[in-house]
Amino acid sequence: MTRAALAAALLVVLIASALSGAAVAAKPGGTLRMVFMADPPTLDPAHATDLTSSAVIRQVFDALLELDEKLVPAPALAERWMVSADHRAYTFHLRRGAKFHNGREVRAADVKYSFERAARGKRPWVFEKLVGAREFIQGGAPEIAGVRVVDDATVELRLERPFAPFLHLIAYDAASIVPREEADRRGAGFASHPVGTGAFRFGSWRRDDQVVLERFPEHFRGPANLERVVFRVIPAEATRFNEYAAGQLDVSDIPTGRCRALQADPKLKADVAIWPTLGTSALRFNVERAPFTDARVRRAIAHAIDPAIIVNRVLEGCVAPAQGIVPPVLAGWTATAKRLPLDRERARSLLAEAGFPGGRGLGPLAYHFNTGDLNQRIAEALQAQLKEVGVALELRRLDWAAHIKVVDDGSAGFFRQGWIADYPDPENFLTVLFHSRNVGPPGNTSRYRNPAVDRLFDEADTMAPGAQRVKRYQEAEQVILDDAAWVSLYHYASRALIKPHVKGLERSPQSTAPEFLAPLRKVWLER
Amino acid sequence: MGLLRPVFSRVVALVPVVLGITVLVFALNAVALGDPARVAMGQRADAAALERLRREYALDRSLPVQYAAWLGRLARGDLGESFREQRPVGEVIVERLPATARLALAATLISIVLGVGIGAVAAVRAGSALDHLLMGVAVLGISTPVFWLGLMLQLVVAVRLGWLPVSGYGDGTLTHLILPAFALGALHTGTVARMTRSSLLEVVRQDFMATARAKGLSEWAVLGKHALRNAAVPVVTVVGIGLADLLVGAPLTETVFAWPGVGRLLVAAVGQRDVPVVMGAVLVFALVYVLGNLLVDLAYLVIDPRIRDAARA
Repeated sequence: MTRAALAAALLVVLIASALSGAAVAAKPGGTLRMVFMADPPTLDPAHATDLTSSAVIRQVFDALLELDEKLVPAPALAERWMVSADHRAYTFHLRRGAKFHNGREVRAADVKYSFERAARGKRPWVFEKLVGAREFIQGGAPEIAGVRVVDDATVELRLERPFAPFLHLIAYDAASIVPREEADRRGAGFASHPVGTGAFRFGSWRRDDQVVLERFPEHFRGPANLERVVFRVIPAEATRFNEYAAGQLDVSDIPTGRCRALQADPKLKADVAIWPTLGTSALRFNVERAPFTDARVRRAIAHAIDPAIIVNRVLEGCVAPAQGIVPPVLAGWTATAKRLPLDRERARSLLAEAGFPGGRGLGPLAYHFNTGDLNQRIAEALQAQLKEVGVALELRRLDWAAHIKVVDDGSAGFFRQGWIADYPDPENFLTVLFHSRNVGPPGNTSRYRNPAVDRLFDEADTMAPGAQRVKRYQEAEQVILDDAAWVSLYHYASRALIKPHVKGLERSPQSTAPEFLAPLRKVWLER
Repeated sequence: MGLLRPVFSRVVALVPVVLGITVLVFALNAVALGDPARVAMGQRADAAALERLRREYALDRSLPVQYAAWLGRLARGDLGESFREQRPVGEVIVERLPATARLALAATLISIVLGVGIGAVAAVRAGSALDHLLMGVAVLGISTPVFWLGLMLQLVVAVRLGWLPVSGYGDGTLTHLILPAFALGALHTGTVARMTRSSLLEVVRQDFMATARAKGLSEWAVLGKHALRNAAVPVVTVVGIGLADLLVGAPLTETVFAWPGVGRLLVAAVGQRDVPVVMGAVLVFALVYVLGNLLVDLAYLVIDPRIRDAARA
């Protein structure tokens, strides 16, 4: 054998062993032990509104589409789809042989049933773009006219007007496909015994203790690697950390204030995983409530705040300070917006112009935030920063239910608000949060009304994805920041502890720790 | 027969107490800021869906009508439906009740066994270094916050030593119960120990104790046969009052140890403004408390013949 032939043979052996190694790596079996901070209120996709419920629902159910690791819509129960030239009709061709956990094959009629059922649930906005959806939701029509069953394997969805992120809505967990016979038979009990088509089927649920999912061997993509997933419910973060340290959890969150310490901990630093997610923490003003009706007062406050201090001292540098409203990690988005810069001299002169020189006459301003150590520490940092320009803050700490009440009814003038994207599109940040038709509980808690901004949103929302659409959102975003209806503080990041033996756990910008909305069918345990 | 009347009158007296508690809790829920329907809708609430949910939860009715409806259902044994879980409240509570009962009983047992033991030893060795040490430990037990003690127990016993599980209900085995029961029981052990010690010291000064000793009985026999029974009334009182401590401590202990009990359910329900669950859980706690105190009253009748005779008269 020549030297060249020997080298070639060695190369073949190396490649073969590498390939076989990769196959061995994804070995089946085992139980993944994850954790929730609270018990999921429901496992019914029609009624879920929280991340915890969604985390389970995404494993038990499939939608027509799903978002891949880069958050691009990919086939799920629909193996392909077509979009009409006017971007108002979407035809989905269902995958043959996909089965529910009860053994029945998925049909197009299940799509129609699931959408109509969920449209009357807690997230009707997912379906409101469909023709006839509003009439149906309000009880004025027997069906959603825009959902048409073409044949057993084809369903057509028609929109009132084009809506660029529509495929994201179809991949959202509210649009999960449920079997009619099970949902009807169980009624409200479907929330406790969900039946879907997902890679994992429902095993058991001891409330406030744990949810157990079992591998569904007949999943249309083939059986998942994991045999079982256990979601423990542990409300105290110190206890979650102790469980992780004792080796009883494979994945957990990083306790508040421990980010840097854990990054330096020789035993745990390899387990620390931090990645940016689609969320922004901010301060908002009710622009209809004095003194925040005056843009100069709002701008003065924006100029007086230094997010870098909050990010570095309170959040230990484990998140990124925000310039804009839309997180830069959003695919297809170019962050161009600039927040009003830290400039305390400018803040003082704006206050004087508004008739409050040195903050005199302004009185203590109430700042509302919801309970939580982190929010308290941020509030105290804001209080100290605003004191520099003569503005006194009175901290109003309320639990979530009370906080959201004073924000919704407009009685809070200056308040904390975070936003986590429902789906990865600028519309979900900007139109939802600032369009005048969404004033109040639908999202625009600033009560911001700007016809020019509304116009930009109306155009962008219906345009095809691309630079022109992004440009309109960018323009609107800058106007909102200049109007200081919203002061961005930082973009969220998931901060997790993941045992080294957990492989294949996606860390997409929409996969938030510790719930992880990522598909667990891709996960395997290397031990 | 003579005892039935006082027992019956005490049971009857409990009804207005429990009803009063439900009125108070309902009123507190009504004045608390927050809309259960809005909380259920998450970060983005559609106006029409919000209205529909308010109607579904019957929140569009006046408060007296809402309370009267709740009372009417209660009379039929129906606690209503949980806003959050969309299931009957009775089912939601019954599911968690065994966990809380196990925890409370185990904690009570620990507090009685340890408390009476520590108190008795301290009384026998009154004034000694051991007495001071034990009473110091008792004060420490009373003043240590449950959540801190719970986390320390987790760190040392579960994480460092690996002897017991950190938290959770597990499969219902004793190993999962020990740490939370000890954390919750410690709160009350100190009180029982201090009361046992002071009651015993008072009793041992009585003349009949000198007689018992004069008969040649050992100090432990005197203590066990004569002193403890006579010192029991105030100790039983403390154990009864301790039920309140356990009820206060249960939500914290259940939270720290991820124990799926009614206390934790109550905390979550308050946060979610799940009024039917709050009312149901408070009703259970109120009943446990008043019935516990009734049992204490009845225990007096058994322990102390003087109280029994007075009740009969």
